[in-house]
Amino acid sequence: MYRIDRWFTQSARWLARRTSRRSFLTRVGTLLVGGAALPLLPVARASSPSRAPAPGEPDPSTPEGDPANCNYWRHCAVDGFLSSCCGGTQSSCPPGTEMSLITWLGTCRNPADGKDYVISYNDCCGKDVCGRCFCQRQEGDRPVYVSPKSNDINWCMGTVGVVYNSTVAVVVGVATES
Amino acid sequence: MRRVVGLASLLVLAVSAARADVPIEQLGRTENLTAPPNPHWVWVADVLLRRSALLDLDRGAFLGMVSTGYLAPTASFSRSRSEFYWPETYYSRGSRGSRTDVVTFYDTLSLSPTGEVVIPPKRAINVLPSGNAALTDDDRFLAVFNMTPATSLSIVDVGRRAFVGEIATPGCSLVFAAGTRRFLVLCADGSLLTVTLDDAGREASKVRAAAFFDWRSDPVTEKAVRYGDRWLFVSFEGIVHPVDVSGDAPRIEATWSLLDADDRSASWKIGGYQHLAVHQASGRFYSLMHQGGADTHKEPGSELWVYDLATRKRIQRLELRHPGFSLLSQDFEFGRSWVWPFDRLYDWMLDFVVPNPGVSQIQVTQDDEPLLVTGSQFSGSVAVYEARSLRFLRRVPSGNLTVHSLQAPWGGRGRAP
Repeated sequence: MYRIDRWFTQSARWLARRTSRRSFLTRVGTLLVGGAALPLLPVARASSPSRAPAPGEPDPSTPEGDPANCNYWRHCAVDGFLSSCCGGTQSSCPPGTEMSLITWLGTCRNPADGKDYVISYNDCCGKDVCGRCFCQRQEGDRPVYVSPKSNDINWCMGTVGVVYNSTVAVVVGVATES
Repeated sequence: MRRVVGLASLLVLAVSAARADVPIEQLGRTENLTAPPNPHWVWVADVLLRRSALLDLDRGAFLGMVSTGYLAPTASFSRSRSEFYWPETYYSRGSRGSRTDVVTFYDTLSLSPTGEVVIPPKRAINVLPSGNAALTDDDRFLAVFNMTPATSLSIVDVGRRAFVGEIATPGCSLVFAAGTRRFLVLCADGSLLTVTLDDAGREASKVRAAAFFDWRSDPVTEKAVRYGDRWLFVSFEGIVHPVDVSGDAPRIEATWSLLDADDRSASWKIGGYQHLAVHQASGRFYSLMHQGGADTHKEPGSELWVYDLATRKRIQRLELRHPGFSLLSQDFEFGRSWVWPFDRLYDWMLDFVVPNPGVSQIQVTQDDEPLLVTGSQFSGSVAVYEARSLRFLRRVPSGNLTVHSLQAPWGGRGRAP
């Protein structure tokens, strides 16, 4: 037992003398890079529980019906972190944040009924960025000088603070031809 | 005996000389940058870390940084004073509490704040690399773009370090310098508002011109670049709209296209968060390009196309390399000193194994040996190329989590916005 202890101690010291924290991180990173290149197995998807679609919504097991997916149908013009991944839902903000009252609007087609809906992309404000489910889609996005159609603006202005956390995608109406 | 003692003393002295102690050092020292600032020093902003890092592209070195408050990706740089100005936003409790907006004055060599001017807490908060502030061509007045969402400009006299006042710009956004007392503001209907100041910095006139593009069918991006006395606005479909600001009123010049029929049929588009750059002395115009459908105007670029502004012809085309991989600010570059061909292993891995996030930002230095620098919003690393030959030189880690803007403010004959 003593010999095994001594061998491990000596090996650990040898390793510590020849490597640094930085080289360790570099190697971990190399492994991560390699890992990222491997195809992802469909384990998580296979094990996720099946849910019934909400009224009028696509099948939640498809990307177009999953509010935590960037390809969710309401996210056609979103630019930010999805509230659904941050403690909120597609139509409500995470706890302790405040929903902005002014925002930008998009028009997205719902694959469940083939209709176009007006989507309000309100920001959730008052805490720093959520950091989960960053989603950047630009359908109908226009530059900042066309502000109601711009997703580059931090729409937290007008709330208790401009600090941006995440974004919801609220259905506010069925789009009609103008 | 005396001789033996003498030899022994000499030996001791020799040994002590060979094993000299590390000199005692002074506590509390801080580095300063050396004057003059080098044209190959580039600011790399990260709004998540609320900072901007200054990199030396030649040595691949990190020179220093400034902390810039909440979501403030760009500074304005004085050409006549050794200082620069950062419009910043702070909360009394970090992310909450009472809001204070300031223009902070930084010394160019110490990177220390030397003063501040409090401005109305209305500064526009966005991730644009340009158009949020502009300095008059004589370095006297700074205009900061406000959006509440009512739009206006806050005017700061940087010579006197004083807030002058606010000028309403209803229906018009952003701000671009256009002379010693003029600014251009871009309006929602595709027109330009010219705001002229008096010598005290107050509003002398506001003149709105006719629309010069159709914002519905083909709007210009906000990421215009200045080439001498012209601003070059580029539309989603790659149409260049030059605006000459040398006279009292902006003069709209003939448009030209970055794309020919073949390019369009192959679905080439402009795109990125800072997709344009211009080298003033040579008139080379750099544009990030990708293949995509409608509304892909912020997609990262896969290629860089270079134009000669004198002939308006494309002269070079480059497939862009991976701007570098970083995770939690840790740069993973390895093997540069390994023997050939293993020294290229990391480049090969980046270019062919790791998914390339694409290039979101470009900038070019303004000296006679210009460098082109590229960044990605998904990495803290930047890549450096020779700007004329487009030869890839190196990647430089910035310690950032992301890149939101690239600024190369020093050493040029013209202004690099």
